[in-house]
Amino acid sequence: MIPIDNFLVLSAILFSLGMYGVLARRNAVLILMSVELMLQAVVINFVAFAVYLNPETFTGIIFAIFVIVIAAAEVGLALAIILRLFRNRQISNVDEADLMKW
Amino acid sequence: MGMDQAWLIPAIPAAAFAILLIFGPYLPRKGDWLAIAAIGASFVLVFPMLADLLDQADGTTYVAGEKAWEWLSFELAGVGETFEIEIGFYVDPITIVMLAVVTLVALMVQVYSIAYMKGDLRYGWYFTAMSLFAASMLTLVLANNLLLLYAGWEAVGFCSFLLIGFWWEKRSAAEAAKKAFITTRIGDVGLLIGIIMLWHEGPNTFNIQEIIHFAEEGGYGNTYLTAAVLFLFMGALGKSGQFPLHVWLPDAMEGPTPVSALIHAATMVVAGVYLVARMLPLFEVADPIALDIVLIVGLTTVMISATMGLAATDIKRVIAYSTLNSLGLMFVALGSSAVAAAMLYLFVHGFFKALLFLGAGSVIHATEEQDMDRLGGLAAKMPITAATFAIGTLAMIGIVPLSGFWAKDEVLVFAEEEQNIIVYLVLLSSLVITGLYMMRLFVRTFLFAPRVQETYAHAHEGGLLITVPLLVLGLLATVGGFVVFDEVGEALGFPGGFAQFVFLHGAHEFKFHLDTAITSTALAGGGAVAGWVLWQDKAALAAHIRDAFAPVSALLANRYYIDEIYQFAIDRIVLVLGGIIAWVDRVVVNDTGVNGSANLGYFAGFEIKFLQTGRIPNYALAIVAGILVLSIVMLVTQV
Amino acid sequence: MTYEEAIFYVIAAVTVAGGLGVVTARNVVHSALFLILSLIGVAAVFVLLASEFLAIVQVLVYGGAVTILILFAMMLTRVRDIAGPMDGPQRPIAALAAAVFLGTTVLAVKETEWRGNTEEATVVSIDQIGDVLFTTWAMPFEIASLVLMVALIGSIVLARGEEGE
Repeated sequence: MIPIDNFLVLSAILFSLGMYGVLARRNAVLILMSVELMLQAVVINFVAFAVYLNPETFTGIIFAIFVIVIAAAEVGLALAIILRLFRNRQISNVDEADLMKW
Repeated sequence: MGMDQAWLIPAIPAAAFAILLIFGPYLPRKGDWLAIAAIGASFVLVFPMLADLLDQADGTTYVAGEKAWEWLSFELAGVGETFEIEIGFYVDPITIVMLAVVTLVALMVQVYSIAYMKGDLRYGWYFTAMSLFAASMLTLVLANNLLLLYAGWEAVGFCSFLLIGFWWEKRSAAEAAKKAFITTRIGDVGLLIGIIMLWHEGPNTFNIQEIIHFAEEGGYGNTYLTAAVLFLFMGALGKSGQFPLHVWLPDAMEGPTPVSALIHAATMVVAGVYLVARMLPLFEVADPIALDIVLIVGLTTVMISATMGLAATDIKRVIAYSTLNSLGLMFVALGSSAVAAAMLYLFVHGFFKALLFLGAGSVIHATEEQDMDRLGGLAAKMPITAATFAIGTLAMIGIVPLSGFWAKDEVLVFAEEEQNIIVYLVLLSSLVITGLYMMRLFVRTFLFAPRVQETYAHAHEGGLLITVPLLVLGLLATVGGFVVFDEVGEALGFPGGFAQFVFLHGAHEFKFHLDTAITSTALAGGGAVAGWVLWQDKAALAAHIRDAFAPVSALLANRYYIDEIYQFAIDRIVLVLGGIIAWVDRVVVNDTGVNGSANLGYFAGFEIKFLQTGRIPNYALAIVAGILVLSIVMLVTQV
Repeated sequence: MTYEEAIFYVIAAVTVAGGLGVVTARNVVHSALFLILSLIGVAAVFVLLASEFLAIVQVLVYGGAVTILILFAMMLTRVRDIAGPMDGPQRPIAALAAAVFLGTTVLAVKETEWRGNTEEATVVSIDQIGDVLFTTWAMPFEIASLVLMVALIGSIVLARGEEGE
């Protein structure tokens, strides 16, 4: 008998932590990890809405599965980019990659 | 073939123009035959129109033929009315008279031009432009609504510009074309304002008959209508070269002489007369001051043009002044509401004035000289030209029984009956002057001793292409006036005569006052004889008189300094105002407005570009800031 | 407080603690380990939400593949050898932004009247999920596999480097 609000608040906390991490961290891998946290928050939200509010079609669960799939693909690609950045320019901090400016 | 096919009359020259414009250079003889065939066809087509008009007439009540096609139609926003523009043609007796004059004179002039323009660099272009002119002029005449009339009006002005500046390599010709275009444009603006005024308060149509009907029922306010018709008259003023916009017409003589004969004597310049005649019911409904102004303008033009004619030495210019003189007379007739008299004068004037111009053209063609001080004695070498020119001269002076006499006499009778005695006296005095300067022109060109032997020796009569049009026009100038006799009119097929044919409302008849006729003939003839004596036998006396009144002759020779006054006004007022506007445009609009906003954008962009740090965390922060703002907005508005 | 709620609070505390560790740890490897903790916590949350299937997927995909991948990347980029602070100059602003976002979101959650049964989760069986995944969602499912393949090839191409490097 857990009210839906509990899950939603948990999701909000996780999302805020992820947001803080994305904004505050310098290292690309750490930022990626923060993004994963945010994705987790979103997935919790989806599932909570599905099982509480819409159990007939439970689209949220299906959506959660796809989010996980896309997240896996994204992690793979993002890490490849980070590797490439490190190999070409010997940096792994995103604020050092600032060539795309005026 | 009836009045419903009236659209063919302008359409044929228009088609000829289109063909000549595109294929002209590839046609044999550069297509002059096509232009002439087209105008000839239009001339022939006038007769079925006339027959149809007479057929449908009930006694002397004519049913005008009208046919219109919708051109544009759209809803007026907010008003709920439909705004419609038609292309429509309207045939009534006035139209027929104009059509006859325009097509016949145009035909004669174009035939004449084959010889006159032979060997010219732009021979083909000349006939192209002439076809365009014919199409525009016929459209103007046949238009059933003011907008189409205005379109034709502007188109003839444009053709006039093209043809005055036909020899544009000559600086004076280019200047004259510009002057004619700009001066008439001043009047045209007034015409457009008048048309818009009539539409704005009117029955939501440009149809001339509907507007007249509306006005006659008192639909317009009196002051408003007076202002509107005076604006219309402004257009007529410019086009017909009436004072104070007469300055362009003498300069327009820079064009080829046949052009002067057609455009600046017989057709385009009488468009103003035609417009006022067509809209005369409006003038009559409006305040009487409107017609008074028409009368005064006409009278002023008569006097200044006649006196200026006395001092000019260029033969074409003298004829141009006589044209102004005649046009002034027509406006005097219109100012007295005498439409029939004005149209009669217009009718015969087309013939004798074209005749005078073509005669002058014949002289110029033969001698390549148009200063009468360097001509003389040509009658011996060019008998046909001299004889026909004499007919034209006497018709212009108004000697019985030539056409000019009858028409002028009608105007005089009306002036005597309807107007102040002063008007009548001024007209009578102008007759003397007309006799003087026209006779001076004739005597010094064709009689007296040749002054420059070289040109005299070179002179010869032109070929048939030149003499036949002269003879045809000479014949018409001689007998054209006889239509005043009802018997002649009836014999020609107009029931009740010409006067019963061309009138606006109420029966009209031509009047003949023996005393007026005798007075006018005596005065005009006296002037002519005096002119003959002065310049034929007593040339020394003429020079003596000229020197005795040196200030006056200088004033006349300088055309009352009106051109100088205008030039002064242009230099001191227009150019200064133009300079101010140019300064505003350059500094305010350009530097501040256009370049200023561009500079502002450039400067702002330069400053703002530093926001693009290239660092991903900054961008992420911007995204988050946006999301936060949105979420707070949502929270405030939704919860 | 029911015992279910008590279990939820324990799990939530673990998950949040893991997340906090991810974003605050000074050692990147510790961050990765905290992430695993948090991911396991989320898997447990899925169990509480009566979605065992998702919990299993979570453990397999995240706890297994993703974390290993991240640790590999750390090793290859020698993150630990890099000098300088782990956090950027935006840290205070980031904290403020996150706090504000948390505040607005929680407020929104509390203020919203949810339609439906908000007190109890309805169990969705694996049968049902499998059923719709291969009927209603068959097309997105296939496209997702395509996306995965493209991402796989893309990663290889990116990470492999150019010829002669």
